[in-house]
Amino acid sequence: MLARYLVEMSKCYTRGRKVFCDDSHSSLVVDIKSINQFGISSISGMRTSSCSWDGDKQEVFVPEFEPGPVPPARPVDKYGFVKSEPGSSIPDMSSKSKPKTDREREERRLQKWRKMIGVGGVDWKCYVRKKPQVVKRRIRKGIPDCLRGLVWQLISGSRDLLLLNQGVYEQLVLYETSASELDIIRDISRTFPSHVYFQQRHGPGQRSLYNVLKAYSVYDRDVGYVQGMGFLAGLLLLYMSEEDAFWLLVALLKGAVHAPMEGLYLAGLPLVQQYLFQFDRLVHELLPRLGSHFDEETINPSMYASQWFITVFSYSFPFPLALRIWDVFLYEGVKIIFRVGLALLKYCQEDLLKLPFEKLVHALRNFPEDALQPNVLLPMAYSLKVSRTLEELKQEYLGVNNMLPQLQPVRLSISKDQRPSKQKREESLNIRT
Amino acid sequence: MMRTVPIKVVLLGDGRVGKTSLVLRYVNATFSEQQTPTIQASYLTKRLNFNGAMVTLAIWDTAGQERFHALGPIYYRDADAALLVYDITDKDSFDRVKSWVKELRKMAPKDIILAIAGNKCDMNSQVDLKDSERYAASIGSSHFNTSAKSNIGIEETFLDIARRVLEQKKALAENVPASTQRKTMVIIDEPPPPPPPSKCCS
Repeated sequence: MLARYLVEMSKCYTRGRKVFCDDSHSSLVVDIKSINQFGISSISGMRTSSCSWDGDKQEVFVPEFEPGPVPPARPVDKYGFVKSEPGSSIPDMSSKSKPKTDREREERRLQKWRKMIGVGGVDWKCYVRKKPQVVKRRIRKGIPDCLRGLVWQLISGSRDLLLLNQGVYEQLVLYETSASELDIIRDISRTFPSHVYFQQRHGPGQRSLYNVLKAYSVYDRDVGYVQGMGFLAGLLLLYMSEEDAFWLLVALLKGAVHAPMEGLYLAGLPLVQQYLFQFDRLVHELLPRLGSHFDEETINPSMYASQWFITVFSYSFPFPLALRIWDVFLYEGVKIIFRVGLALLKYCQEDLLKLPFEKLVHALRNFPEDALQPNVLLPMAYSLKVSRTLEELKQEYLGVNNMLPQLQPVRLSISKDQRPSKQKREESLNIRT
Repeated sequence: MMRTVPIKVVLLGDGRVGKTSLVLRYVNATFSEQQTPTIQASYLTKRLNFNGAMVTLAIWDTAGQERFHALGPIYYRDADAALLVYDITDKDSFDRVKSWVKELRKMAPKDIILAIAGNKCDMNSQVDLKDSERYAASIGSSHFNTSAKSNIGIEETFLDIARRVLEQKKALAENVPASTQRKTMVIIDEPPPPPPPSKCCS
């Protein structure tokens, strides 16, 4: 009821009408303002409205678009995370501290990449068709940071979705309301709080994050908004515009290129349950000693691995590692999550084998820094062969749990003038990259 | 030999009511305004010397958003106590407490100890405190007003839980035949633990 009330209030605000509320609602004022300020997206920055409420029979005018104070400047790493915050201690890889040969190598790599994708990505599809193995190898070495946003959109299929659905995002942000608006607002300042882009209250970062999440919760009302999606959207927003980020989210959850991820967030979390089943069995198969130790200590993979799947390592892992995982994840699919998880366990196996339950739970959420170095962990992950076993385990799981719906890739596209109802979406979908 | 009694406590409640903040305040004496949402349950422990009895509180802090409940039962299936947390500025979160109680009646041990915490008591309440206390009494639960931000009522809440679980275990040990005693009371005989840091004692 509270949420509905707030949605109604926000509608009034965005239409520029005066709104009155009584004393009992005065504590909601901050949230109402938030809806209003977030709800009007940056894509319509010229829209204005005024509002007021009458708490003590006295009108108070709330200025529109008033972001909070800009947080004081603090030293940040090359990705924009405030350095002093615990949990974001990222080794300084800035070019200044690197030897000249490293910089030259990076420069050469960048040139290769530019040639491969062409201006704005025009040569990409052609290159991928001709030399898929070269593309795969180069992505596994890491996409150059300055091209990452563009390449992510190319490999995920989101660029095609955007072009086929022009105007849809704007409609979702401006004219639709979502039952999740209040939930989203309450989580906004809790998503990547140590990143400068998201620190300013109601600043551009927080607004974009709100818009993307709200738009998705309208686009797919079955999924709506689930905690954890904010980290996906937040990560994407550091590399692309909010509209691009939205379509990349759609590409992932609806399965434009790989198997759809929406089952990670639907009621009952069916895909999380399946992945945890598969992961548990893989641990027993590839690391049998550790598997038995986990059994003895009653360690269940949902105690440590569910957030790996739900946020694709973006929730609590060092950012440089998360980015490298995302490069491969977007090109090769969910398999990399299993591989990285297994590689982590393998790397730390001897230490983990000595620990009792209480310390295991802690260790499985706080891996040592040396295990989290991309150039140590990722080669180990690539060397683990899981494809065939993963498929067999999936069939076994679905056989046992035949009540679960099979999530198949859908073809996506929405024409501009259509309301994004689920039925219409499914009728009109016609692209697959 | 000194006995350490493990007490398994699970924190349940709607998303954003402050479960993680309560635990972090209690166990680590820290508080953050921007606590990230809990996506998967986390496990923390605190050792107490309770009137001479050594107690280890093993606390599972669960993800609150309803969607995550699919992963929840393993955390409360064999819990000794459940701390149900709501946000006093959000009436809906109190209704969630009631639905949690129903869920626990189905899934948790019959004799699970319940406590309810109305968190964020440094702010204006939207929930009638008398209603909450009456409800708590009706289900045999205690009720506390807490604030993780201002460090109010948290110590008392966990001590109350520890006291009631210990009393229950003691009563069971006295009344139940020895053969079943072992099943209901888990006592770890281990060398006396090193004296806990003074800040953990009460």
